[in-house]
Amino acid sequence: MNAVILNGMEPGDRSIASIQKTLVDALEERTWTVEPFILHSLDVRPCAGCFGCWLQTPGQCVRHDTDAVAASVARSNLTIYLSPVTFGGYSSQLKKVLDHLIFLILPFFKTVDGETHHVPRYRKRPNLLVIGTMDQPDSEGETIFTTLAERNAINMSAPRWASGVMVGEPESEAARETIKTLLTQVEVA
Amino acid sequence: MKALLLIGSPRKGKSASETLGAYLLRGLEAQGAETDKLYIYPALRSEERLDALVSAAAAADLVIFSAPLYVDALPAAVTEVLEILHRRLDEHQRPAEQRLVAISNCGFPEAEQNEIALRIYRCFARQSGFIWGGGLAMGGGEMVKGKPLDESGGMARNVITALDLTAEALAGGQSIPQDAVDLTAEPLAPAWVYRAMGNAGWHVQALRKGTWRQLRARVW
Repeated sequence: MNAVILNGMEPGDRSIASIQKTLVDALEERTWTVEPFILHSLDVRPCAGCFGCWLQTPGQCVRHDTDAVAASVARSNLTIYLSPVTFGGYSSQLKKVLDHLIFLILPFFKTVDGETHHVPRYRKRPNLLVIGTMDQPDSEGETIFTTLAERNAINMSAPRWASGVMVGEPESEAARETIKTLLTQVEVA
Repeated sequence: MKALLLIGSPRKGKSASETLGAYLLRGLEAQGAETDKLYIYPALRSEERLDALVSAAAAADLVIFSAPLYVDALPAAVTEVLEILHRRLDEHQRPAEQRLVAISNCGFPEAEQNEIALRIYRCFARQSGFIWGGGLAMGGGEMVKGKPLDESGGMARNVITALDLTAEALAGGQSIPQDAVDLTAEPLAPAWVYRAMGNAGWHVQALRKGTWRQLRARVW
């Protein structure tokens, strides 16, 4: 079993680095293979909205600057998003990669509970775990973040998903327990 | 009143974000506002343009974001500009009251799919010292892109009325009225028609590009 971590932290964010370490330790303890991507270190330009990944080179970006990430996500059993909660959403570092990954789904529409969404490209899709961090509690931001994670799970047709927002000290025992609980929710036994 | 429109689509002038935002800006001009329009994507590629964007946003009485929905939220470039504005706005002298509004359009027929994006703009406004003036959500944005709204025919009637109401309210220092929100959210076409046309459109475009057989390729 393998997991991919898309780490949307800014350089020097020790809080998210610590959460990543807890995740990697917990997964490796269960004999999972983990591949973390520190996204700020990747040279990825913003999605140009050209739909070339659906029409010109179907299934991959015409610029190929997200090939490595996309290949890992497509083959993973679990994809994990890590991000500071940014006005309720994801950081631009995480978002710049996620915007590109629409080629993991097809342009065609389907309905889910009466609402329009995209058809998945791959038969096997990873479960999705989304973890956000906050320095201070902010209920509005937390609610938006959780809803965004749910919407992403629907659009990417993730079989299972979970999300959590960690406030304050990520190295506490309580934080480690929260992470273990979240992993259980996405079937990391 | 100084109103600044920030276009958050990489397609810039050919986008639905431009069509909607530019129409609103013209309405504000007609109401006597001093207006300016800047594009977010080029600004992020040039320090000089980015400085100008931050200065303009700090000086505006009204900041309008008009952007598409990308993966259920704002495009990364718009998020990056929000992060930068949050850090840098207070380096400038700002008006005592600044209002922020947003227009979000998506490629799904349901306008409500923009809800998370509008909540993110509202959260940014609260955390960055703006008065939240409301948001307009539009589904099927692809149908109005690339030409002025008043040349889009009858299907744009509701949106035009909504933006007229919005311009009048904002020029008077008010928030976007609920009538405008409701009218903008009215579907441009029935959802099943939109989906059927959209699905057929992808096939046609792929046939033209010679990639029809690869459309469902599983690269990895």
